[in-house]
Amino acid sequence: MERRSLTATILVHLAALLLLVVILAPVVWLFIMSISSTPDLIAKPLHWWPDTVDLSRYGVLLSSVANSAGEAFVASLFNSIKVAGMATVAALFVAVPSAWAVSRTPSVGWSLYAVIATYMLPPVALAVPLYMTLAWAGLLNNVFGLALVYLTILAPFTTWLMKSGFDSIPREIESAATMDGARLDQILRLITLPLAAPVMATAALFAFLLAWDEFFYALLFTSDQRAKTLTVAIADLAGGRVSDYGLIATAGVLAALPPLLVGLFMQRALIAGLTSGGVKG
Amino acid sequence: MSALELINVRKRYGTVETLKGIDLSLASGEFLVLLGPSGCGKSTLLNIIAGLAEATEGDVRIGDRSVTGVHPKDRDIAMVFQSYALYPNMSVARNIGFGLEMRNVPAVERTEAVQKAAKILQIENLLGRKPSELSGGQRQRVAIGRALVRDPQIFLFDEPLSNLDAKLRMEMRTELKRLHQMLGTTIVYVTHDQIEAMTLATCIAVMRDGQIEQLATPDEIYNRPATRYVASFVGSPPMNMLDATVADGIAQIVGSVSGIPLPQALRENAARARDVIIGIRPESLTLASSEDAGLAIEAKVEVVELTGPELVVTSTIGSQRLTASLPPKSQIAVGASQRFNIDASALHIFDKATGKRI
Repeated sequence: MERRSLTATILVHLAALLLLVVILAPVVWLFIMSISSTPDLIAKPLHWWPDTVDLSRYGVLLSSVANSAGEAFVASLFNSIKVAGMATVAALFVAVPSAWAVSRTPSVGWSLYAVIATYMLPPVALAVPLYMTLAWAGLLNNVFGLALVYLTILAPFTTWLMKSGFDSIPREIESAATMDGARLDQILRLITLPLAAPVMATAALFAFLLAWDEFFYALLFTSDQRAKTLTVAIADLAGGRVSDYGLIATAGVLAALPPLLVGLFMQRALIAGLTSGGVKG
Repeated sequence: MSALELINVRKRYGTVETLKGIDLSLASGEFLVLLGPSGCGKSTLLNIIAGLAEATEGDVRIGDRSVTGVHPKDRDIAMVFQSYALYPNMSVARNIGFGLEMRNVPAVERTEAVQKAAKILQIENLLGRKPSELSGGQRQRVAIGRALVRDPQIFLFDEPLSNLDAKLRMEMRTELKRLHQMLGTTIVYVTHDQIEAMTLATCIAVMRDGQIEQLATPDEIYNRPATRYVASFVGSPPMNMLDATVADGIAQIVGSVSGIPLPQALRENAARARDVIIGIRPESLTLASSEDAGLAIEAKVEVVELTGPELVVTSTIGSQRLTASLPPKSQIAVGASQRFNIDASALHIFDKATGKRI
């Protein structure tokens, strides 16, 4: 490592610490709120750390008693997992072939730009047509319907990401495989997709997060526990006559867990540098 | 039997014609080098032979079978790419055996073939590694192994040595030569390096602007270049090209009082062209003492460079430049006038208008 003066070292560490605080402070505060008792939360001056640790809200939200807040929350948690999961998987199924085609056939690249252009439209512009389409297809308040809507958001984005991933894989490798006698599906399965795995994992992760966090369409197209997602359920918690901020915070903590697990799981696939060594360099 | 035959192969991209009618026939066991500067169409031609590109017109025949429209995998060829194009996610052994794997060759047979190829290329100890753990030269060997194991009718090489450093390039060049002598396979090899072409080929096709300028043995390309272009492309330092006009059997060098009496055999044709270019290889010039008779020209010495095995003397004759490669111990005075003897049989005369050899 290069030599650095003491001041520089201290400054670098301070900067890193600042970044850490900025990123983690909201999360930490969310967690503290979720375990604080109501008196602690409304006390003045503010209690930075609760006098008593209160875990009861986790119990409330995760209970399965009929017609309770917990039942609604757990149902919405599963709805979110289903919708985001389905939309992500479907988006990858659409993105991989189309991104490969666009990457290997530059002459059809304009089509991707056309799709991206529709992406620029604000969601509210599409809300009414989408609502009517879903109503016509009988898919309102339905996880499949919502996943389908999310697919329209995720597919352009994942295709774009996958295209740049495929672009970085030299075409000569595929030419070599062609001459070695591999069919198109074999080339994709044995060579191109393994090499594009890091990009694919990134695309999947971001697509999942995008779908997980989506609120606007979910609010419009779902109406009860059959399809309501987490974001809508959390909003419902705040929408009553009395808002229990601790409960909202607890829901937030619980809602953050599944994407966190997905992220940790994907980390293995995110290891980059797989393509190095195939060609010169 | 000819292993490869190209009949009037043309390739157009829109209005641009990159190949303007290539005709070529290659006997089995030959080592053909397509030599030319970048953009001359040599790589396009190789891709057409490989089937990675289709010719706009004309026919490609491999082993007396037309392969127009035939998929690359069914052409009985193997190709080594400039960038090696190894599969980074597979071990060396699987890389080499991939072609056999795709052709459903049983695993036992496959392992045997991979071992054999690895032994020939001396990479047996690398079979378990990934391409990223290999050096450039080793990757090159693996790429060759991948072609070798398939035992194809024709090997195609696309500038395989251009990514290696000078020393390794020479080593691999010898290695390729050894492989060709040992296996006796038919090879088509693309390069812009004239030394690679001269050393490896049994047959060189010098290409220019989508056409074959000359197709001949290395010896003939070097000693009897068909055109001025071929003459200037092959050889280092490059051949001297002196503008001259012919009158009474003497080629008068433009911008100078010296003239070169032409050999009898060339006089008639040269006289018809009048404006000619005299090509003299630097190594066919020798130092002449003043009373020496025979063919000689006088030039003013400007720069003397010792490269080690030879002394490269740059001089001017009138307004034109003359380079000579001399033995390293030659006594040369910079700034002085110097007479050079010319080997009359090594004179190349080109028609200035057409560039063709007279």
